Amino acid sequence: MTKWHLSRRGLLVGASSAAIAGSVYGRARGAYAAGKLSVGFWDHWVPGANDTLTRLCREWAAKERVDLTIDYIPSQGNKLLLTIAAEAQARSGHDILAMNTWLPGSHAERLEPVDDVMGEVLAKNGPTNPVVEYLGKPDGHWRAVPATPGSQMKGPASRIDLLKQHAGIDILAMYPPDGPATPAAEQWTWDALLAAAEKCHKAGFPFGIGLGTTSDSVDTWGSLFHAFGARLVDEKGDIVVRSDATRAALDFAKRLAAFLPADAIAWDDGSNNRWLISGKGALIFNPPSAWAVAKRDAPQVAEKVWHHPAPKGPNGRFGPYLPYYWAIWSFSPNKSAAKSLLAHLSTREAAEQLVAASQGYDIPGYLSFNDFKTWNEEGPPKGTLRHYPPTKDQILSIAAAPAPHKIAEQIYNQATITKMIARIVQGGDSIDKAIAWAESELEGFMRG
Amino acid sequence: MSRLEVAARGAGKVASGDLRRQRRWALWSAYACLGLFCVLFLAPPIYALVTSLKTSQEIAALEGNPWLVRDPTLANYAALLGSSTFLRFFWNSAKVAVIVVAVTMVIATLAAFSLARMRFFGSTVLATGVFLTYLIPETLLFIPLFQIFTWLRDLTGIEFINRWWILCIVYPTLTVPFCTWILIGYFSSIPKELDEAAIVDGASTLQLLLKVFLPVALPGLIAATIFAFTVSWAQFLYPLAFTTSLDQLVLPVGIVTNLIKGDVFNWGQIMAGALLTAAPPVLLYAFLMDYYIAGLTAGATKG
Amino acid sequence: MAQAAAISRAQGERGAVRGGGLARRRARIAFLLCLPLIVLVLALVIYPAFYSLHLATLNKSMTRFVGLANFAFLFKRETFWMVVRQSMIFAVSAVIFKALIGFVLAHLIHRLPDKGQRKWRGMLLVPWVIPPAMSTLIWWWMYEPSYSALNWLLAGMGFAPVPWLGDPYWARFAVILVNVWYGAPFFMIMYLAALKSVPAELYESAEIDGANAWQKLIYVTLPMLRNIIAVTVLFSLIVTFANFDIVRILTAGGPRDMTHVFATWAFKLGIESNDIPLGACVSLFMFPILGIAAVFILRDVHRRSRELAGVAA
Repeated sequence: MTKWHLSRRGLLVGASSAAIAGSVYGRARGAYAAGKLSVGFWDHWVPGANDTLTRLCREWAAKERVDLTIDYIPSQGNKLLLTIAAEAQARSGHDILAMNTWLPGSHAERLEPVDDVMGEVLAKNGPTNPVVEYLGKPDGHWRAVPATPGSQMKGPASRIDLLKQHAGIDILAMYPPDGPATPAAEQWTWDALLAAAEKCHKAGFPFGIGLGTTSDSVDTWGSLFHAFGARLVDEKGDIVVRSDATRAALDFAKRLAAFLPADAIAWDDGSNNRWLISGKGALIFNPPSAWAVAKRDAPQVAEKVWHHPAPKGPNGRFGPYLPYYWAIWSFSPNKSAAKSLLAHLSTREAAEQLVAASQGYDIPGYLSFNDFKTWNEEGPPKGTLRHYPPTKDQILSIAAAPAPHKIAEQIYNQATITKMIARIVQGGDSIDKAIAWAESELEGFMRG
Repeated sequence: MSRLEVAARGAGKVASGDLRRQRRWALWSAYACLGLFCVLFLAPPIYALVTSLKTSQEIAALEGNPWLVRDPTLANYAALLGSSTFLRFFWNSAKVAVIVVAVTMVIATLAAFSLARMRFFGSTVLATGVFLTYLIPETLLFIPLFQIFTWLRDLTGIEFINRWWILCIVYPTLTVPFCTWILIGYFSSIPKELDEAAIVDGASTLQLLLKVFLPVALPGLIAATIFAFTVSWAQFLYPLAFTTSLDQLVLPVGIVTNLIKGDVFNWGQIMAGALLTAAPPVLLYAFLMDYYIAGLTAGATKG
Repeated sequence: MAQAAAISRAQGERGAVRGGGLARRRARIAFLLCLPLIVLVLALVIYPAFYSLHLATLNKSMTRFVGLANFAFLFKRETFWMVVRQSMIFAVSAVIFKALIGFVLAHLIHRLPDKGQRKWRGMLLVPWVIPPAMSTLIWWWMYEPSYSALNWLLAGMGFAPVPWLGDPYWARFAVILVNVWYGAPFFMIMYLAALKSVPAELYESAEIDGANAWQKLIYVTLPMLRNIIAVTVLFSLIVTFANFDIVRILTAGGPRDMTHVFATWAFKLGIESNDIPLGACVSLFMFPILGIAAVFILRDVHRRSRELAGVAA
């Protein structure tokens, strides 16, 4: 992982140091006509993926003559969140920062509107998927540009062999390596998953679905809620958690949780990766970083992993999609350069390279970009990512939608959904008691 | 009549041989207890060492005794020590620690000298109160501090946030109170006769401090220095909050945020990193243990 | 010489002036020497603390003044009281165990012949010397559900694996354990030094009076160590109460918020949920609790010191 800084020394080859010393400021002006730019990107989980992004940026900076500084900031340990919060408070820091999910909405007033950039980009690339637009346009203006690195589907990744052997599910028949989903895929419902979970649990290879408070867990159970039609807060901001749909979802969750690892409630974003790679798990909900690392550390596991869409519920098949964005702070001194960089990174060629570098992990938000070859070709096993990008039969969802952005952010960050389930499963609360608790939490989120 | 026999008689014992056996048994059980605690106290670092010598694959595999290494490798250490990023973290930590120690010792020594020896309005309050700054924890302070440094930047044009030198300004708030307290205790235990003699000889306050006090109080100063170094080296929250760029990070934050990328099996490197981070304080302590302990306790036992 | 010493001591004690000008100049110098300390504390501790008081009175988006509304809001949340309870349990139980273990260890070492003491002291102080963030990482790895080395040992002894970080009560235990492991050596060193300073004659005269080991402990050791015990307990209470690193790295407050302490919950609310005023409120709540404890203990210590000083004179 590198921090890359294009220094004055690099560009001014052959200039004598005396000349530099004498006219540094003038030289700098001439060499960096477009000024300085400081960027904070998300530090990719897939080994080596950052380097392509660095290269793309360097190409742009050389062409535009910008003095560019790049930092890669991890999301683990909430470092990225901390950085964003600190810079928002101090009104100083990087020019561009990576932000995911609810962050553009929650910092909307402090972000530079990028309608102009998006206008051009959308004209060239076509529309984005609805989740990207919903989260990126919190107040009618695009507050951030959709980013390819980090945008991911949080669907299942299963062990082909274990599912077939213990649960009798032939996942390859439903989602074959060389074609679209077959009619057999209609059988892939949440009920089917529940039955499979029970069988695999009995066989000693439980499903590893976290019930913790980090985003992997929240996204998964959020999509379950959507699949049952359960909502916590509606678009108007009214608390609607007390409903039959919610009860149905919680009841289902309770039954499923019985077959999950005992400490799933304490899982963080890395736990399910470790679960899969250790060979103990038959299924996890996670984008392909676990598989990418398994290729290196436990290849005998990696070659049996298959990625496929989430199961279908009474309300439809909802696929959890988590978008990343690149946002420009309104206090940035060099907005024009920032916008230019982001436009450069939003081209089809750039996206293709980034997706390839991420070994298929990244899923750009533009619908027309969901046909890159990388996903069909990645392996072993070949085709494991074919069914990873969103398909037409899935509705992309984000947990806590359709609540108003600032409330949804709280629901997401405070993991109200998974905490409700944890209360029932571990705390022994009844479903109604858990709903009552959620109501009081939601009231708290309504604070202005 | 030996004390032993007096005590023996007083306790109603008959044979001194009996007592000796009892004493030996007590001694051996003390050793056993201490041995047990040693095992408990040292188990984690030892386990970290063992893990740091394993390959990723060996760590990932769930078989065998995790407390032993089958194929030891120095690859983790090589990777870290060969990584310019890690070395940068180390260098930053070192720079910050040295500067902070210097700043701390100057402030604390002056203040302790004053509070231990002189009186002015509010000095007793200050002496006890300096301790109470620890009541205001870091998690409360880092956001307002951020504002302050932004305002300072607007005022002076010097960039503080995301620069390693901001740590040199905030760390002393954590080290100075305790160091002052240690030194007050230590200075108080130096007989006032020394002062009197020096003043009679015509020394000014500063000369008194430098030529008389410091040489005698040297052990206490060493101890306070070690404490300041250890605290600066180990800081986590402030650097986590104030520094983000890779080339500005110090070791604890660097290790935690950069080796736990979610890249699942970097435990080998994480443990290696943790041990390399722990090494300087431990080495310092290994050589200067007596000063360390003396300084810690001097202030306390004089209370 | 003794007379001069007595005079200067009297001077020091009463703060009296022996020939006004000289003493006043010395007082001014004394103040100047303390100035860096005062400035440091005022600018970087006191002022930000007041600023956060101000922050705590703002609304969530920090645009309006709402007075004590944030505190009122907090008091109605169930989680808040849970955090209060947890912080107290964590701090008090950790400190009690640290003090006990430290005390026991100090006694054991004290019993050894002087030559041997050094290496035991050295080995046992190691947990305190390792940076806590690093040692917490090591413990985290030892608690890791799939790979826990501790569970492996337990399995070898025939016990079921323990969900160290997954079950709320085990998680609390795990956090306290790490804190005790880290902090006990500090107590050990303090008490050891204090034990050394107890005059042997006191023990001898107690023996002559027929006291057994237990009685010696209660009637000789504990009273002599009372001050140091109070001071270390206070210091440790404060530091443990405000602890952030251990809980953050091990559990991040979970599961189900049952290991949250003030610092981590304030962080979660203030930073992660973007509600800085509320986060400031939670942090501020620590202060009165600690302040009261500090006042009581320090007053006791101060009184005792003055007694002792009076006795020594």
